[in-house]
Amino acid sequence: MASNLSDPAFWSRLQFAFTITYHYLFPQLTMGLVWFLVYWKWRALRTGEERYNKAVRFWAKIFGLNFAVGVVTGIPMEFQFGTNWSGFSRYAAGVIGQTLAMEGMFAFFLESAFIGALIWGEKRLGPSLHFVAAVAVALGSWLSGFFILVTNAFMQHPVGYKVEPGGSLGIASLSGYLLNPWAFVEFAHNQMAALVTGSFVVASVGAFYTLRERDREQAKLYLNAGTCVALVASLLVAFPTGDQQAKMVGKHQPVTLAAMEGKFHGGSIAGVAIVGQPNVAARRLDNPMEFPGALSFLAYGHFGSYVRGLDEFPESTWPDNVELLYYSFHLMITLGTLFIVLMALANFQNWRGRLQSCSWLLWVLMLAFPFPYIANILGWMTAELGRQPWLIYGIFQTHDGYSKVVSGGNVVFTLIGCVGLYFVLGVLFLCLVGREIALGPDPVVTSKSKERELVFAET
Amino acid sequence: MIATWYGIVSFMLIAYVALDGRNFGIGMLQAIVARTAEERRLVIAAIGPLWSWHEVWLVGFGGTLLAVFPRIIASAFAGYYLALFLILWSLILRGISLELGGHINDHLWQSFWGFVFVVSNLLLATLFGVAAGNLMRGVPLDANGNFSLAFFTDFRVRGDVGLLDWYTVSIAAFTVLMLAAHGATYLTLKTEGAVHDRSAAWAKLLWAAVVPLFIAISLESSFVRPDLFAHAIHNPICWLGLLLLVVSIVTLISGLSTRNEKRAFVASNFLLGSILATGAGTIFPVMLYSTLNPEDSLTAYSAAASRDSLLIAFVWWPIAFVLATAYALFISRRYPGKVSVKRDTQGVY
Repeated sequence: MASNLSDPAFWSRLQFAFTITYHYLFPQLTMGLVWFLVYWKWRALRTGEERYNKAVRFWAKIFGLNFAVGVVTGIPMEFQFGTNWSGFSRYAAGVIGQTLAMEGMFAFFLESAFIGALIWGEKRLGPSLHFVAAVAVALGSWLSGFFILVTNAFMQHPVGYKVEPGGSLGIASLSGYLLNPWAFVEFAHNQMAALVTGSFVVASVGAFYTLRERDREQAKLYLNAGTCVALVASLLVAFPTGDQQAKMVGKHQPVTLAAMEGKFHGGSIAGVAIVGQPNVAARRLDNPMEFPGALSFLAYGHFGSYVRGLDEFPESTWPDNVELLYYSFHLMITLGTLFIVLMALANFQNWRGRLQSCSWLLWVLMLAFPFPYIANILGWMTAELGRQPWLIYGIFQTHDGYSKVVSGGNVVFTLIGCVGLYFVLGVLFLCLVGREIALGPDPVVTSKSKERELVFAET
Repeated sequence: MIATWYGIVSFMLIAYVALDGRNFGIGMLQAIVARTAEERRLVIAAIGPLWSWHEVWLVGFGGTLLAVFPRIIASAFAGYYLALFLILWSLILRGISLELGGHINDHLWQSFWGFVFVVSNLLLATLFGVAAGNLMRGVPLDANGNFSLAFFTDFRVRGDVGLLDWYTVSIAAFTVLMLAAHGATYLTLKTEGAVHDRSAAWAKLLWAAVVPLFIAISLESSFVRPDLFAHAIHNPICWLGLLLLVVSIVTLISGLSTRNEKRAFVASNFLLGSILATGAGTIFPVMLYSTLNPEDSLTAYSAAASRDSLLIAFVWWPIAFVLATAYALFISRRYPGKVSVKRDTQGVY
């Protein structure tokens, strides 16, 4: 199905995949970074030390740029439920409409009311209210994540619904729907992953300034906070949240687990492939190197547990791209493991007081920041590719969900428009963030930045 | 229950138009009332820290509509496909010109984003006007509740219509003028100096131009949808809306002539709201009118979600609404009076 380029459903899927992937590059940083702002603002209030305020002002600018691009690329997401996925909306809006509306009403209003005050309002608000604004934005962004993940969890593991007389879905139990066990595991896993992105970026800037031998006081602040949070969050992403997520998939989507692992044939003492390329036509993993029994243990708790293979399920229920799903999952796991190793090392060196002088480790920390983004996206690819061919697992197929009245031509047109516009946005974003990092938390007084200094001096 | 929800989603849309419409107006007027870089900054500062909160009303409206009238979203969003993407792209450009424009203190950078800001706001006012025109005129809805709207067909208002025709274009022109007048009234309230004086002059001029256009579009509407007026006479909401409209006009005139800027701005909001409320009351219960066969129109009753879903939303919506309003009041109380470039500029000038 997905290989047919003349199918309008393919273009709607590609458009959604592109716009959501691009969009999620921004919220994953803001949801992680916002707690650093809260923490430093709180330290500034408690100790009165100016270095914490300086850190908040610097990171608030980077936060603001991310937030702005996140907001403008986020609005099209909600609209696409109607424009490109009207079949899905007609069928399931009785359920998912509730959480999408709650996200707007509870989370976005909270975030948007305080974001302007957080970024530009330090003078107007004063220190205590500025701290309140940071907390409000943090809560709003995490609440927004929660409602979206409840919605996604319903698509992964539908609970609390009923079929209405007209054939569409309605809510049978609101608490059942909101307290979907899948949603809690997914939320915990996803938010920890967002903290990994945020902390890697903070540590990376700290490493850059240290290597550059500039802004030493700020660099130390970023390195300490960044590496410490990164280690804790990287551990929590893997265990217990990632582990629980895999068990959830094994329990409710066994065919997805088989495809994620490239398990074409079932068996006991099932291994985790460390290397190997899925060969779907030949129904086998080429060049496999496996860790025996690991999959049985991770999915079901015993090394001897039986793990079902793809051959035990009808091929029509297989995820429609086993290869991409397999690589997404495996690369995510590999990166997640490397994050733990890297940050354990960084914290060890920091504990010994040698991180500032360990130049090769600083280089690695500085260059590591793109990888949490990649791992986050790979995780979402695993979740969404793994759900196929279903839009709502087990009850509604993706192919029934797209807007039949919208021609392929129109979708290709809007996809081209989105790609073009988002490309320009991306270039602008990178230039401006690069510029802020180059200017740094303590911009030197040059003719161009003199006025800027004056503005800060007034605070 | 369903009528109440129709009222709530109408209210959300009206709130969006009154709040963000004012920013569209300010955006368009920036090209006229601000002549120096400093004046442009003052205009941006007048928009204030809550513009993102204003924009969220659109998202809240969309989400609530999806929850309570899912079939409207499914039909209308797919049908208005191209128009909606143009709106989305304009919203993206408006948002980034506002957020990124202040990041570099360079006149080339700022005049570029100033230009993008003006054009995207003009586009947004026009597109929302076209959308309102389409809502009044109707769309080529078939018996299955589907339609797909081309940009334009033959510019006529019956049968197989397009997004643009003489009626929707004139509604768009009215919307642009009206939102510009609304924005000018707000700029008068929030600014001082040359920008204030020019805004005050433009506010009077624009409101004066709105009157003949309003009469014209009312006559046009009675020609395009003769059934609506017969229907509206029996709807008390429409009479209430008209009464409110008259009161707002009187208050606006008194506010403008006595230089009571706050009164004028409050009246401007109510004027906008009463026109939209009268419109919403007039078309009720039809939400999407079919130009092909009126029998196929989607009404609030045929498009609503199940009774249980409506009840559930009825529990949480008022709580969320009170909270949302409280946040904005909390913030806006910290930004009273006229804005100044020194204190309120967004960006690193």
